[in-house]
Amino acid sequence: MDVLFQFSTVEAAIRLAIPVALVALGALITERSGVLNLGLEGMMLSGALGAYAAAASTGSPWVGLIAGLVVGALCGVVMAGLVVGIKANQVVTGIAFTLLASSATTYLYQLNYSIGGSAPRINRIGMWWLVLVVLVVLAAVWFLFKRTTFGLALGAVGESPVAVDALGYRVDGLRWKATTIGGALAGLGGAALVCGPLGLFIENVTGGRGWVALAIVVFAGWRPIPTVAGALLFGLCDAAQLRLQGTATSVPYEVFLALPYLVTLAALVIRARTSRTPAALGQPYQRGAI
Amino acid sequence: MSATPVDTPAQAPTVEPAGAPRGPGLVARVLHRTASGGVLVPVLAVLAALALGSVLILFEGQNPLRVYWAIVEGVTVQNRGYSNTATAATPLILIGLGYAVAYRARVFTIGGEGQYLVGAVGAMALVTADGVRDLPAVVLVPLGIAAALVAGGLWSMLSGWLWVRFGASVVISSLMLTYVADAVLQWAVRTGIRDPDSFVPASRNVGNAELVGVGNTHLGFILALLLPLVVAAVMARHRGGFRISALGLNGEALDANEVPARRIVLWVTLFAGAMAGIAGFVEVAAVTGRLNGSSSVGFGWEAIIVALLGRLNPIGVLAAGLGMAALTIGFESSQRAYDLPSSLVGVITALIVVFVVIGDAVAERLSGQD
Repeated sequence: MDVLFQFSTVEAAIRLAIPVALVALGALITERSGVLNLGLEGMMLSGALGAYAAAASTGSPWVGLIAGLVVGALCGVVMAGLVVGIKANQVVTGIAFTLLASSATTYLYQLNYSIGGSAPRINRIGMWWLVLVVLVVLAAVWFLFKRTTFGLALGAVGESPVAVDALGYRVDGLRWKATTIGGALAGLGGAALVCGPLGLFIENVTGGRGWVALAIVVFAGWRPIPTVAGALLFGLCDAAQLRLQGTATSVPYEVFLALPYLVTLAALVIRARTSRTPAALGQPYQRGAI
Repeated sequence: MSATPVDTPAQAPTVEPAGAPRGPGLVARVLHRTASGGVLVPVLAVLAALALGSVLILFEGQNPLRVYWAIVEGVTVQNRGYSNTATAATPLILIGLGYAVAYRARVFTIGGEGQYLVGAVGAMALVTADGVRDLPAVVLVPLGIAAALVAGGLWSMLSGWLWVRFGASVVISSLMLTYVADAVLQWAVRTGIRDPDSFVPASRNVGNAELVGVGNTHLGFILALLLPLVVAAVMARHRGGFRISALGLNGEALDANEVPARRIVLWVTLFAGAMAGIAGFVEVAAVTGRLNGSSSVGFGWEAIIVALLGRLNPIGVLAAGLGMAALTIGFESSQRAYDLPSSLVGVITALIVVFVVIGDAVAERLSGQD
């Protein structure tokens, strides 16, 4: 087990945690406003493809990062239009969005790259730059909820939309913004995945990390700093699992494959007892409907 | 993950991620429209998706009508078109049926993929075990089905129990369990039930438990044809079926009549997992022969589409499963003939769900304005 405590494992853990942390912070903002976005996996994937295309054509991974942010925000707008605008079922819409994004990104990628041989590698952003990006986003999210009225209204709308409405804020307007920002961060997470140390897009490159992000938010009790810590824990498990594959150990590496999800299940059970869950999560707001 | 404390989950059977404990909530009501609604929305959704798909086909420089006609021919004319469709529909119908019953009770499990894997692993562990695998098929096949049913069912019921006991969201817990199930599969084929003679990680061959062919398809398809009829009958005529629907409509009314809602939550998660587990065993025993590290092919996700498209109605699930399978099988030959990307059919099926979701929401709004 010594291998787990080497510096290279910690470095791998951070590398694996970066995209998840960004998506999880996006999920946090969206869920605090009362919208459950199960489309995050799809948004992350869309952001990853957008980032890859932009970085491949301009040669700059930083442009890719911005492209991922923009594509993610556009996905967020679409999602908000469905679940906030026409009040479609949030659970089903999110799953449908992820299914669509998963096949649509594969389709677009096959269309543009696969047929003419192997896809080009893009320039990569160093890991520590991306750590900086995560820290900046974390600080911004923390500041948003702790120090701004917008953040306060955002949190309140997830707890009691009726009260926020009575105070004269537009409930749906706040939720549109939260869903769009959440989508943008999910797209940025996808972009960080392909423009970071990977430097490639492959079909379904996100491999379920968007779903993991959703779980991490529950685990963290909808608080920014524990969210990033949760992402780091996930990264550590992931790194351990990758390290232990191929080595003969007493603990099968599959345990580490399952560990992040088992921890989340445990957290789910513990968190269910606390009241940190936004009270109005998953419920559309219709004035006078209650 | 509910807003009410955990000591009263029976009063709050709205099983959504942080669902609405008081009042049915729109999520639930829309789902119920899906259950009771007509076929108009799904039919329009399919047409809209095909229309949008034809735009994509035009971009490829092909004639959409020819491509779509080739899909029809891929099923009706092509050698084994019908039987391939039946084989592809089997897991979709079985898993979709489980989802449909659970969603009717507003228990929103999405972990079919994991239950499918656990069912397959559990059944294969039993039917390929030393001493057991030499038994005749008459014993082994029912044994395999029973093991898959129990393994998948209990795996799924775990998320039901986490809700009943702790108030943990079924959506998230069933999803997490899917990833754990994948780890179980990886361990099983690498170590647990590995074929010692196999160079790559894989289970033993299903051996005597192989499902015999019926025409060009297999016994599992007969199961997929019959079970929806049985479930439809139970849902319509039996007390249990009525209670499941009642839980979906108004859990508090059930409590008032002293019917334990939490028990129904456990039952429907058990049923959904059992169906998915059977689908897992059937797929291995009739199609793939053995399990390996990439046995997770996404039927559990596709079946969500089937359940919704089938309006959470058992017969509807049967029709939707056959339709989805036909689209997939037909597209395979059409795609070869017209040199289209293989992912196009995925885009079209995903568009169908998106349009169903939009259609239901719009229908809800329109009816709300009357």
